[in-house]
Amino acid sequence: MKALSLPMPAEALPRRVRFTALLRLGKLLFGTPLNGLLTVLFGAMLVVTVPPMLRWLIIDAVLFDPDPDACREAVGACWSFVYAKSGQLLFGIYPLAERWRPAIVCLVILALLGWSVRPASWTARLLALWIATLAFIVWLMGGGFGLAEVPTASWGGLPVTLILTVVAIGIAFPVGILLALARRSTMPAVRIGAVVLIESVRGLPLLSILFVASIMMPLFLPEALLPDKFVRALVALTIFAAAYLAEVIRGGLQAISKGQYEAAAALGLPFWPMQYLIILPQAIRVVIPALANTVIVMIKNTSLVLVVGLFDLISSGKAALADPEWPSPAAETFLFIGAIFFALSFSFARFADFLERRGPVSH
Amino acid sequence: MLSDVKTRSILIQIVLVAAVAAFAVLLVHTTFANLRARGIPVGFDFLAMPSRIVISEAILTYKSRDPYYWAIAVGLANTIFLSTLVIVFSSILGLIVGIARLSSNPLASGTCRVWVELARNSPPIVLLIFLYSLWWKVLPPVGEALNPLPGVYASMRGFVVPDVSVNLSTAGLLTAIALLVLGMSSLLVLRNMISRLALAPAGLFLVVVALWVADIRFDVEWPTFTGSNFSGGNELTPELSTILIGLTIYTTGFIAEIVRGGILSVGRGQWDAGHSLGLSRGKILRLVVIPQMLRVILPPLNSQYINVVKNSTLAIAVGYPDFLAVMNTIISKSSHSIEGVFIILGVYLLLNLTLSSAANWYNRRISIVER
Repeated sequence: MKALSLPMPAEALPRRVRFTALLRLGKLLFGTPLNGLLTVLFGAMLVVTVPPMLRWLIIDAVLFDPDPDACREAVGACWSFVYAKSGQLLFGIYPLAERWRPAIVCLVILALLGWSVRPASWTARLLALWIATLAFIVWLMGGGFGLAEVPTASWGGLPVTLILTVVAIGIAFPVGILLALARRSTMPAVRIGAVVLIESVRGLPLLSILFVASIMMPLFLPEALLPDKFVRALVALTIFAAAYLAEVIRGGLQAISKGQYEAAAALGLPFWPMQYLIILPQAIRVVIPALANTVIVMIKNTSLVLVVGLFDLISSGKAALADPEWPSPAAETFLFIGAIFFALSFSFARFADFLERRGPVSH
Repeated sequence: MLSDVKTRSILIQIVLVAAVAAFAVLLVHTTFANLRARGIPVGFDFLAMPSRIVISEAILTYKSRDPYYWAIAVGLANTIFLSTLVIVFSSILGLIVGIARLSSNPLASGTCRVWVELARNSPPIVLLIFLYSLWWKVLPPVGEALNPLPGVYASMRGFVVPDVSVNLSTAGLLTAIALLVLGMSSLLVLRNMISRLALAPAGLFLVVVALWVADIRFDVEWPTFTGSNFSGGNELTPELSTILIGLTIYTTGFIAEIVRGGILSVGRGQWDAGHSLGLSRGKILRLVVIPQMLRVILPPLNSQYINVVKNSTLAIAVGYPDFLAVMNTIISKSSHSIEGVFIILGVYLLLNLTLSSAANWYNRRISIVER
């Protein structure tokens, strides 16, 4: 800005501005001995690692050539495999003729997630919309009422990841609220029960909970009531999410001042109306950034269901790699899968940042 | 009667406890009925029987005719070994990356930002499987092993690093421990009389003397390449190396963010005060900022350490036999699933409880005592 106010010929201006910008960059890169050292160190590291990576990723890579032999000869990445197998990677072993169904399911979930991100749409209507959508999704994936039936054992790929995330969080949210309220209850039996449940779930790795759910449920339940693998994994994920959400919501409850409770009591409101009308709306608004972070954790965690034999993105990647016609380009496939997870979780993380910067909504 | 708050709350609790108890009885009943129907015995006696399971690698010695309890201990030792290494490496790297993220040098802060974002937004299991698939693509066969550092070789068969073995006698060790305990306790008693500056060198001197008295020798065995194989040194398999590198990359991203948050939480005024005292940037960081930062970052750091223990279960994705993987094999081999599940739950709860109570104890010690 200062450069602009200096009296000087108009054509000299841009070079001058460019020069000061360069000078500033130079100062940042080499201003102090430490900065100079850092520049040399990181510069050397980037020069050594980035060009070979780019060569492998793009320059020497096979992009769309549908012939598997092109990949055998190339030194670079084999993206044509990912391109040719994208249907199988994204939708797993879902029947070929019916693939439009999981595709619509993915689009609907992503669209609804995007819609729910807008603070303006956080109303009771949104909740109803979600419940209606979930029913629609289950019908579209599972079939019945005019559509060919597809058992959950054939569900696979991205829709499994998205459905597990959304449904687990959807069920876990009200359970988490109940647990958070129970943990703050004045009744010792209720409080101790909640503490034991929350802390033991939080103390265990999700993988062990998934294992326990898949090993123990067949023993706990009579055979007639035994749910399939998909539901077992969903139960484990829901319990896990509920314990974490409960702690997040408890944080929000603790932020509500005592005056709010007293005012509600002075109005003669009993316990549940007080929570529903006064306390919870405020408490949940305070913790929305933390809730968004929990959603990210859950998106990442659903990738673990592969170890209990569910067909998520990773397993469909492994299945695609088993095709003997292609050289099996594992690194490319998992990079692609990682990129999907990264895109989902990174965009949600930016949303959480935006909420955090905006601060709690005033009321 | 129901309008009385006290009576109602007691009634609610009685109903709740009764419901939980009824549910538990029902579960136990069905479980035992199911077990009987399948002819599965229940009890922990199987632990003493020979396991005959295969554990592909272990830091404790293990033979397949060892009993089940030893197989469990071997798996647990692998988990603790793995978690400890990841915690140490990612703490050091996380401190560096977190500080570099705040550097005014755009090259340094940019690179570290990319690391942090990639680590925080990818599922660790995908990261591990990706790294494992890279192993045979990037690294050369054993004959052309890379030699990035003196004594460190990397090839398709994993890493080979120098083997450091500790050589000591029991008598020397006992004398040294006695000396250390005596010296440290006298320092503790005298700590108000001598200046704080002398305390650290005195402690260090004690440790050196103790090491000298104990006559501990560190024998370093350098690996040498003999035609087709390495002799000497420690071999880290691709599985162990992958999970070590992968979890370290992942955890470093989180610890770097914690460190960055900690440094930012120390107000600008502290930096200004340090500058006005004429301290250099490095000294302000070391003497003023980091001690204050430690208080802020300790609780989140501890939950990261607990996460490392939990994430070490992902070893199963690349086939490293950690505790959970060993337990899984044992359960499918012995069909003692109930007992196995109890051991899994108990061990992880105990591990995490130990870690968090150690951290709480340290936290209480360094927290500011307000009047």
